[in-house]
Amino acid sequence: MKLMLSVLLTAVLTENFILCKFLGICPFLGVSKKLNTAVGMSGAVIFVMALATAVTYPINKFLLVKHDLEYLQTIVFILVIAALVQFVEIVLKKFMPPLYNSLGIYLPLITTNCAVLGVVMLNIGKEFNFALSMVNSIGAGLGFMLAMVMFAGVRQKLEGCDIPKFMQGLPITLVAASLVSVSFLGFTGLVDGIFA
Amino acid sequence: MAEKRSIGKEFTKGFISENPVLRLVLGTCPTLAVTTSVVNAIGMGLAATIVLIGSNMVISALRKIIPSKVRIPAFVVVIASFVTIVQMLVKAFVPVLDESLGVYLPLIVVNCIILGRAEAFASKNPVLVSAVDGLGMGLGFTTALLCMSSIREIIGAGTFLSGTQSLLALFGDNVLGGFDGFTLISGNGALKPMVILILAPGGFFVFGLLMACVNKLAEKKGKPKAELKGCSNCPMAASCSLECKNDIKEGKA
Amino acid sequence: MKTFKEFAVPTLILFLICAVATSLLALTNSVTDPKIKELSAQTELAARKKVLAEAENFVQEADITLDGKVYECFKGVKGGRVSGYVFTTVAKGYGGDIKVMTGVDADGKVSGVEILEISETAGLGMNAKKPDFLSQYIGKSGEIFVSKDKPGENSIDALTGATISSRAVTGAVNNALRLFEAANNGIELLNDQGGAQ
Repeated sequence: MKLMLSVLLTAVLTENFILCKFLGICPFLGVSKKLNTAVGMSGAVIFVMALATAVTYPINKFLLVKHDLEYLQTIVFILVIAALVQFVEIVLKKFMPPLYNSLGIYLPLITTNCAVLGVVMLNIGKEFNFALSMVNSIGAGLGFMLAMVMFAGVRQKLEGCDIPKFMQGLPITLVAASLVSVSFLGFTGLVDGIFA
Repeated sequence: MAEKRSIGKEFTKGFISENPVLRLVLGTCPTLAVTTSVVNAIGMGLAATIVLIGSNMVISALRKIIPSKVRIPAFVVVIASFVTIVQMLVKAFVPVLDESLGVYLPLIVVNCIILGRAEAFASKNPVLVSAVDGLGMGLGFTTALLCMSSIREIIGAGTFLSGTQSLLALFGDNVLGGFDGFTLISGNGALKPMVILILAPGGFFVFGLLMACVNKLAEKKGKPKAELKGCSNCPMAASCSLECKNDIKEGKA
Repeated sequence: MKTFKEFAVPTLILFLICAVATSLLALTNSVTDPKIKELSAQTELAARKKVLAEAENFVQEADITLDGKVYECFKGVKGGRVSGYVFTTVAKGYGGDIKVMTGVDADGKVSGVEILEISETAGLGMNAKKPDFLSQYIGKSGEIFVSKDKPGENSIDALTGATISSRAVTGAVNNALRLFEAANNGIELLNDQGGAQ
């Protein structure tokens, strides 16, 4: 339990996917203009991350590792994630239209989102068991949401600012992201401090 | 369109006018993540270039065979194979690079530059032109990484090209007379490197300033500035439901 | 028949692409895999020689269990005398596990430390790989501290801005010293026999 909590906090705060590991920067910069789209996108990411981990973990353990086929990991995982996303989209569209309207529209974007493949790869790299992998994935997703929501707030404040012309648009967004990222540096050592 | 443009132009466009990172704003994740040292950046840039050339050539050669329905999965399979091959070669010959690039090496597979070029260029052009396009785009990517990492390493760590030997391990020990980078700021004196530049915030900050400079230059030349246009840059834009359709509509309006 | 063609042809082509891709990967793997294994064995041997330079040969001894974990133990031998032991220990750093190889000479003093695997922050924790930092451990024995926690003779200076990484490496070295104590039982006996020659 203690270990799970430590993995969760590490994934959300100290090793935040966007602000510390630079995974999923495209949606971070592209979809964080408005709070509601930021939340919708993050919700979809959490969902797909958890699902992708739940599906790829057994595939890796019982198919790839068992038959010494670890070198096929990249190719198998990306295909599984792509197929999964498509499948979820179809299912949601057909059976759960309200959920589809709030989450589903972001799904195709996620196939090529490096955060999802990244979390699956990191779970394997860290040799987590199934439960810890799930905790880590959900934590990474929650961290993604935290960063997206915080940054959406920052960007809304930026809208009304008088910014020098050459800094307008992407440059000032990146500098703002840098400042948000500084705040996450403050979590350094937090988890080890709590669970030491 | 390809017949009219010379091969030289396909090559050079990747550097300046259509630089994937600084003009098209693609591949931001590796740009931010691996530019903590110049050696890492070169390694990442070259690995991505090899994948880009390979996948562009294969996809271009198969462009008439691949049915458009399964085009994206087919592209992904081709790209993922090249990434895995490069990864295995790096592991076997330059293990230090594999260690320092870590998870970002297999993640080349989701680098939008590669799928983007496959979809936008290689699937419509002959093999040779596609290969040249891949080379140009790859080297453009490498150049952008080089700019970022030089700034970050020199100011942030006080070194330049540190760890060169590990990258050259492929050619044996002590090549280039054992050159292993310069130390510009030793950190022992009053002047210390600004470590924050090689930490995560420094990545965003340097990239932001670099984009500002590029935009300023583009403005002078009367070209539009680089902008992340929602997700119309994204190769998945066509199959995406809401955001991009809105963007496309806005763009048309 | 039209629907069959519509579905079957793309599926078949996709399948063919996958099959070709997979066989190419298998081929590359069969070439690179032995090379990767050989390389890692080589690197480990080179590292062992570096941390225990005195030894001429290394012999793998029985594994030692410490705190419920099993560790490999290598004995360094020179001219029939035991010159020390080499242990590989792991500690949790800031960015993940740090794998440290420690050489301990026959007197129980650290003869050298090498970092085998590390994924700390570049420019901060990554500096743990530098000889300036690692050479601090040489000649120390007993329990080593980071000077920030407990200044004194048996302490090392932490890396600037990377106390966690410094503590992790120190912990790994300390574990190696404890492993040495466990392995040490037979060492004097062996040296007595060897010394008689």
